[in-house]
Amino acid sequence: MSNRANRFPSGQAAIVGIGCTEFSKDSGVSTFALAARAIRTAMADAGMDIGEIDGLCTFGTSDSVSPNLLAQALGIKSMNFYLDQYLGGSVSMSIVAQAALAVGTGVADCVVCYRALNGRSEQRKGGAKAPNASMPWDIQFKIASGYMVPAQEMAMNARAHMLRYGTKSEDFGRLAVLCRTNALDNERAMMRKPITLDDYMASEWIAEPFHKLDCCLESDGAVAIVVTSAERAKDLAHRPVLIQGAAWGGGVNIANNGFDDIAVSPAGPLAERLYQSAGMTAKDIDFAELYDCFTFPLLSQIEGYGFAEPGGVPDMLKDGAFNRADGQLPINTHGGLLSEAYIHGLNHVYEAVEQIRGDAAHRQVKKHDTALVTGQLGYISGYSSAVILGGA
Amino acid sequence: MAERLIKPIADRDSAPYWQALADGHLKTTHCLDCGHWTWPPRPICSKCHGGNLTLDEVKGTGEVFSWIVVHRSTSPDMMQYVPYVLALVRLDDQSDIYIPGRLISDKEVHRGMRVRVVTEKITDQVGDLAWTTEGVDN
Repeated sequence: MSNRANRFPSGQAAIVGIGCTEFSKDSGVSTFALAARAIRTAMADAGMDIGEIDGLCTFGTSDSVSPNLLAQALGIKSMNFYLDQYLGGSVSMSIVAQAALAVGTGVADCVVCYRALNGRSEQRKGGAKAPNASMPWDIQFKIASGYMVPAQEMAMNARAHMLRYGTKSEDFGRLAVLCRTNALDNERAMMRKPITLDDYMASEWIAEPFHKLDCCLESDGAVAIVVTSAERAKDLAHRPVLIQGAAWGGGVNIANNGFDDIAVSPAGPLAERLYQSAGMTAKDIDFAELYDCFTFPLLSQIEGYGFAEPGGVPDMLKDGAFNRADGQLPINTHGGLLSEAYIHGLNHVYEAVEQIRGDAAHRQVKKHDTALVTGQLGYISGYSSAVILGGA
Repeated sequence: MAERLIKPIADRDSAPYWQALADGHLKTTHCLDCGHWTWPPRPICSKCHGGNLTLDEVKGTGEVFSWIVVHRSTSPDMMQYVPYVLALVRLDDQSDIYIPGRLISDKEVHRGMRVRVVTEKITDQVGDLAWTTEGVDN
């Protein structure tokens, strides 16, 4: 771990607008249309004119619409910053982080981060129309063995955790129930039917130890967020949500010698740099929106970001530590990717901003000044990303 | 030869690896300077960062570190096996190399289960691997 002073421009950039489309199984429109609608809504929420946009950031696996096409469609004459990052949920917060860098250093004035996908009706992840095995270079070595979808990789890590710490299926089940419970009163959520631990245990196996209810949704939809300077944010409609810290990067994974215990959370090294960038510790976080492509990554991130000792999450779950109403660290207050929608993690930022503004209505958590929002924790590609957001 | 719908498309780094599997051998990158193994095969040693590398055969034995039971496969080639155990095997040759593969065994899988590699020819240039307990003491 480097001791280099972290010079992330903490608190210099702010999220001032949020927008989303309906989250559904079939949007009926293109990802281009979804992105445009979410951006228009987000700029209106910020009280800013579309003509002020001078940067666009997105990510994906060639399943969305690129910044240049949107810039043309929106009539943006001067793009000062763009990012079209390849990969999935692991880089979801890196686009927010890099927008903050661009704005915080004065490279751009108004950067919109967006993610649009028809993840159910068009390009499903790991569907039967499987990718050919020459794709990202290390993937070819897994696909040949039929080890080809994230559910399988995360389940492999979950099993390693069970073997090392005695973690049980019921512990994963409690996380699934928690997310579903938080989605019940969320108008945006796709899954609003209650589930019990018994429902979880009875749900079909996908990749044992994962049941169907360990797996997140497949969704069509888009989210956009508007990032501008903290100075400008003071004059706008809502409580500014400052980007207080960010870290993105990666390193070893299992296809990358050096990772010799996959039971240990890979979020740990990133967490250290993240807190350093914000001048904070885990104790400063009021609530967290954690990347929940599956249940187990939630547990692993709670450990990795310093909210529990390794193996300590199950007892805390039973004690309600992560409940929205009265927990010490409410998590995934909207239902997460498991029960709200799979907008590849950007819907976590949307929720965090609503909470920090105090606009989350019946979902509102009591302490809502500082949020941790994360991307996928570093399995598969080795990359991960996270931000700390704070109300001004 | 096994019929496969999804098969690796060998690139300049991986072609010799897939060829070795087609020929019945699990080989991977071995550093001639420091002796470190890397898997998957790479054009640089991950330990000493040298480029003096060769492709050598590993012992091909190891133990199960983790596993899943695949009940729903998205691979048209693997659906015939469902449900099957997919094991992550820690190689005896070097403890930070884990290689996934289908486990072929009539015994119940457990952490530390001893296995050995089996190879299968897919085309003349490309092979695949699986793990078996057959002929291995447990």
